[in-house]
Parts: sequence; C-alpha cells; structure tokens
Amino acid sequence: MSHPLEPRLAAYIAGKMPGASDVAVSALERISGGASRETYRFVLSWTEGAAARERRLILRRDPPASLIDTERRVEFEAYRAFAGTAVPVPEMLWLEEGEAALDHPFFVAEEIAGFQASPQMLLSGAYDAVLPKVAERKWTILGEIARADPAPLARWMEAPALDACWRRELDHWEALIDKDQAEPLPVTRAAIRWLRANPPPPAQKLSVVHGDFRTGNFLFDAAGDIQGVLDWEMSHLGDPLEDLGWSLQPVWSFGRAGRAGGLASPDEAVAIWEHASGLKADPAALHWWILFNCVKGQGIWVGSAAAFNRGGNRAPIMIYPAWWLINAQDRAMLQVMGRL
Amino acid sequence: MNPPVPPVLAELAGLLMKNAMPGVPEPERASDLSLSAMLLMVAGEVWDRQAHILVEENRAVRALLGETGEDADLRLSVLQAENDRLRAALIEAHAAAEAAGDQARQDAIWAELVAATERRKLSTAPV
Repeated sequence: MSHPLEPRLAAYIAGKMPGASDVAVSALERISGGASRETYRFVLSWTEGAAARERRLILRRDPPASLIDTERRVEFEAYRAFAGTAVPVPEMLWLEEGEAALDHPFFVAEEIAGFQASPQMLLSGAYDAVLPKVAERKWTILGEIARADPAPLARWMEAPALDACWRRELDHWEALIDKDQAEPLPVTRAAIRWLRANPPPPAQKLSVVHGDFRTGNFLFDAAGDIQGVLDWEMSHLGDPLEDLGWSLQPVWSFGRAGRAGGLASPDEAVAIWEHASGLKADPAALHWWILFNCVKGQGIWVGSAAAFNRGGNRAPIMIYPAWWLINAQDRAMLQVMGRL
Repeated sequence: MNPPVPPVLAELAGLLMKNAMPGVPEPERASDLSLSAMLLMVAGEVWDRQAHILVEENRAVRALLGETGEDADLRLSVLQAENDRLRAALIEAHAAAEAAGDQARQDAIWAELVAATERRKLSTAPV
C-alpha cells in the first residue's frame, strides 16, 4: 500500500525539475526516531531525455509539535555550508518553508544509504575493534567544524560577541526550562545558579556550533569511518567549546562510565579535537560548557515531556527521552559538579 | 514521572490498538511497538516504588524546611503535588543559603538532592 504523501511529494518535486517527466515517488517509509523532525526515506524516479533515472532521498518534515523548535532554514543552510568539506554531510536539494505542499515545512536531501547511526549497535561489542577509529574520526570532524569559517552562515544565524556566547545560550535554555518544566528541578536550578556565578572566559573564536554532535547523530561504517554528520537542527554560531562540551556530557556515554560518547576517555577526545581544530580547550572553560550542556540536555528532555503534556505531539518518542533521561541528566549534573 | 504514567499508559493502549490493525507500515509498527515496550518496562519499574519514594522525599524535605506534617492521602497525584510544592520551596531555600554563605545548610540540602536523585534512578539509566 502506497503512502498518502507519495503523490503530493512527487507533484512538488516535479515542479522543481522542469527538465524531467514521469516524476514518481515510491517506497516512502518513516524512519524511527526523529523527535524534532519527521524523517522519511523514499525513492525518486523520473525520465530525463530518454533515460530513466532513480535516486534515494530523505524527506525531513516538521511535526505538529517538536522536542525542539528550530528553523528548518537554519538546518538546511548549515548542511549546505559544509558540502564538499572535510565534514561529511548529505547533499541538500529543496527547502519548502510553506505549508501548502505537505501541510508542514520540509526539506529534501540525498540519502547516505548503507550505514548505521544507532549508538546501541555501535556499542554492542560488534564494533569494539574499530571504536578507536570512530573516536578519532568523531572528534576530528568536530574539530573541523570548530575550525571552519563561520562567515558564510552569518546571513542565517546571529553572530554574538565573543564574550556574549555563554550568556545567550544559558538565557535561551533557562527560558525554555522556565516555560516547559512540569515539576521543580532543584539540581538543574542549582547548576544554573553556579553557571551564572562562574561565567567562562570569552570564546577564543566564533565558530559554527553543530549543537547536537554526539554518538547517534553520525553515520558509521564497518571500518569505523564516519560517512555523514546528521541532525544540524540546533546549529548556530557560538563558542567552539560548546560543541565539545556536548560531546563530553555524561548522558552520551550510554552507560560506559568515563568514556566520552561511549568511545574514548575525555582526555583522548579533547586531544583529538585540539589537534584538528587548532584550538585549546581550557579545562575550566570546558568544565563550564560541559555543565551548561547538562542544563541544555535537561531543557530538551522537559521540552519533550511538555510537547506530550500539552497534547501537541503524543508520539512515544516524546515520552522516552523524558522518562529515561531527566533523572539521568540530574545524575550527570551532580557528577560534573563533583557531588556524586 | 514526567509525563505522568496514567496518560502515557492510555496513549500506549491506543497505539497498540492502532498497530493491531492491518495497513500500518512495517517500519512505523516496529518503531511504535519497540518504544512502547521500553516505556512499559519503565512504568513497571516505577509502579511499586513511586509512592514510597515520594513519601520518603516529602518527609526529608519537610525536615529541611522546618515543616511538620505527614502525607495522609497516598494517591500518586496528591503526593506528587505536595512534592512539587516542597521541591519549589527547597530551591528557594538553597538559593538563600548560597546567598547567605551558609555552608552547613547548603551541605544538608545537597545531601538530600543527591539522595533524591539516587532514589529515582532507573535500572537502565545511562549515568
């Protein structure tokens, strides 16, 4: 049985490909996960000249209510900014910000097919021999993102002053927690008070910040290479230590205590990142950003619960992060603050 | 638990009925059912302990705040509402202790926050 979105998507794409005929969409299926966007894979077929052509593509569509509310334009342009660089990303094809075509804004991109993203699979034991290679690639790519010139994205993203990066991010996530929390969060509030009382030094440069660069948001192969970096919906300009801090925050160890991202010791990860980025990770500043990222994580988990509680999105993917991670995030904060 | 368990179970019941019908795409069915199974396991884990955790925590926070009283109504929704009231007051007390430089009071509050976080830990927690 074909998916009801198939003919609507085919009609939209046909309008974007004036040289093509017989444009058709088939095998459209939703990919599991995707709490901030609905993600589907599909096959596009068309005739060009006398030749029949086919391509595997991805549709990313806004849901009715999201775990995180972000502009799809920002995500689309972030992917495009890294096309053809040392940071592997899928090719972006079309962005639609209106709601007429598919009810919600969306974009269409190349599918990087044949690779895995699941952290559970990566850390199952089957890939143990290549985990050092994955770690090397992961923090090298993150270093490349930090090293990149942010100027091409300044048209789409606000460029804060170097000494304002931390405050902008903390203000943003504290406001979301104020709006979304369903119950008091004493550990998180204590962390926020500490962050405000002990601000980090100004950013050493303004960088592109991916915003969600963690194990689970890249595609890996059997040899341990990384073939694609995904989920740029929280990307922005800011302090490069922010991304490093997110990659080191304890919930992303997936139960492998002391292993950043479940892959390497924090010292190893930082050394790889410093080598690739040409930047230094001042330990005190990095500590601030790791704790900040614990607060940010809590903002995301209570936000997913709020989306469910308000009735905007009742999908189970909105419940699981809240149930599984709100307490774990408190534990991570206590660890980072030296209390646990 | 946030979201609360009862509306989550109601939602999962509806989802299971939907997935019992023909015509649901297989990837969506697999995603819905595997996530539902994980959520049911979490609900099962907290079922027996949740009232005890809230009563114990409410008692500890009342002591820190100098309040008297006990939880008489043991419905989870009532215990949770009282827990919310007490933890909001604890945040205020913690901030006041920091502002006053009262280290002993801060240490006592931190000890309860650590204990509360440990009480609520799930067996599958990643941290």
